[in-house]
Amino acid sequence: MTLEGRGLVCDYGATRALRGVDVSARGHEILAVFGPNAAGKSTLLRTLSGERRPDRGRVFFDGAVVSGGDPAWRARIGLVSHRTGLYGNLSVSENLRFFASLQGSPGSRAALIEVLEQVCAAEVADTRTAILSRGQRQRVALARSLLHNPEILFLDEPFTGLDPGGVADLETVLRAIRLEGKIVVLVTHDIPRGLKLADRMVVLRDGRKVLDGPTADRRVEDVVPLFGASFARDRS
Amino acid sequence: MRELRWGCMIALKDLRLELRSGSRLLAMIAFVVLSALLFSVSLNLAHLEVRGLVAGLVWLTTLFAVTAGAGRAFDTEENDGAFRHVLLTPVSRGAIFLGKTAANWVLVWFVTMLAFFALTTFMEIRSPGPLAWHGAVFLPGTIGLAVTGTFFGRVSNHSTLGDTLLPVLTFPLLVPVVFFGATATSRILLERPWLEISGPVRFLWAFAVGSAVAGTVLFRHVADE
Repeated sequence: MTLEGRGLVCDYGATRALRGVDVSARGHEILAVFGPNAAGKSTLLRTLSGERRPDRGRVFFDGAVVSGGDPAWRARIGLVSHRTGLYGNLSVSENLRFFASLQGSPGSRAALIEVLEQVCAAEVADTRTAILSRGQRQRVALARSLLHNPEILFLDEPFTGLDPGGVADLETVLRAIRLEGKIVVLVTHDIPRGLKLADRMVVLRDGRKVLDGPTADRRVEDVVPLFGASFARDRS
Repeated sequence: MRELRWGCMIALKDLRLELRSGSRLLAMIAFVVLSALLFSVSLNLAHLEVRGLVAGLVWLTTLFAVTAGAGRAFDTEENDGAFRHVLLTPVSRGAIFLGKTAANWVLVWFVTMLAFFALTTFMEIRSPGPLAWHGAVFLPGTIGLAVTGTFFGRVSNHSTLGDTLLPVLTFPLLVPVVFFGATATSRILLERPWLEISGPVRFLWAFAVGSAVAGTVLFRHVADE
């Protein structure tokens, strides 16, 4: 199982967000995407997921061209972003049942509780989403992304606002997903956590790929200089 | 069949959210009742042909209420980025549009009825004519309003101009709906035969069906980023 982007170019008006990026992720693998702000990380994720059509280049899954307009492709992917994408005035189970019905997944109470248990959030099943903490909402968002058992999971800054317990739980879930043979693409600013969790990494700067390789034995100090002089200066 | 089920799920979710928050509906109800009250006290009814006037006011009040409320159908979707996740499901853009339009139509229908009863009461019209005939006029008219409000609600939701853009886009398109709707309603209030009313009603149906088909087909161009 391989997800590949070849020669991806994306423009927002006169601004070029991606400048011919080649990237690939395989099953049983977590791919971390690092980079400073405006490096093109989220655009790369949106392009790989099919949410955004590249201006040049193509995305392939197992050799076949991927299109966000294809419902069959959308059924194979899950997304967790820093915005949880839940309806505040619905309870957690109502939110999940709604998305399950759109995905064609089982929406029974037992099925929903099972997926909530995976993310340690079964106790909030009947709570109105608006009154949950940021961390609880993020767990529910993760549960929503797993409802239809996707083959590829895209995560855009999923650790934002999570307490240490939430982060540890999310890491456990992601490792379990990797063991199932799925592809995980993780966009994050949290370099130490990304290095610890991911098998491979891609570093972007100004829309260009500046590093693509395994995370094993890499340290934060190896990655940060690639972000550019201004980032390293700000960080110090 | 699957499209219909998806559309129903989206409509039911929207109505449930509206019943719990009441934000759009309450604003629309307050607007309609206050408008009807202000019209009744500000117009000198003794020197006006009241029945023709009420017909126009019903449709104009509904049009403004649609702009104030129904056009904001996508606000709840964007609050926490939920619409991005709806778009990532296998549901077709057409089904999403029809579901959101159906929920909007329920609100528009309710508001239209309220405007009609409020204005006929405040303007002291004792015999407004057969209610079934009014319903036959309001049904296609409100569908046209809901379809247009939903479609351009998404367009304005995308735009930096936001709510300012909505009336600029919708009012020119809805002139025929208001014209033929007001014509048909005034003829019913004036107790004219159905033969004189069926022409405008046919136009309203043509607009409703045409705009629903066009909206369903074109929505994918405005739904995605």
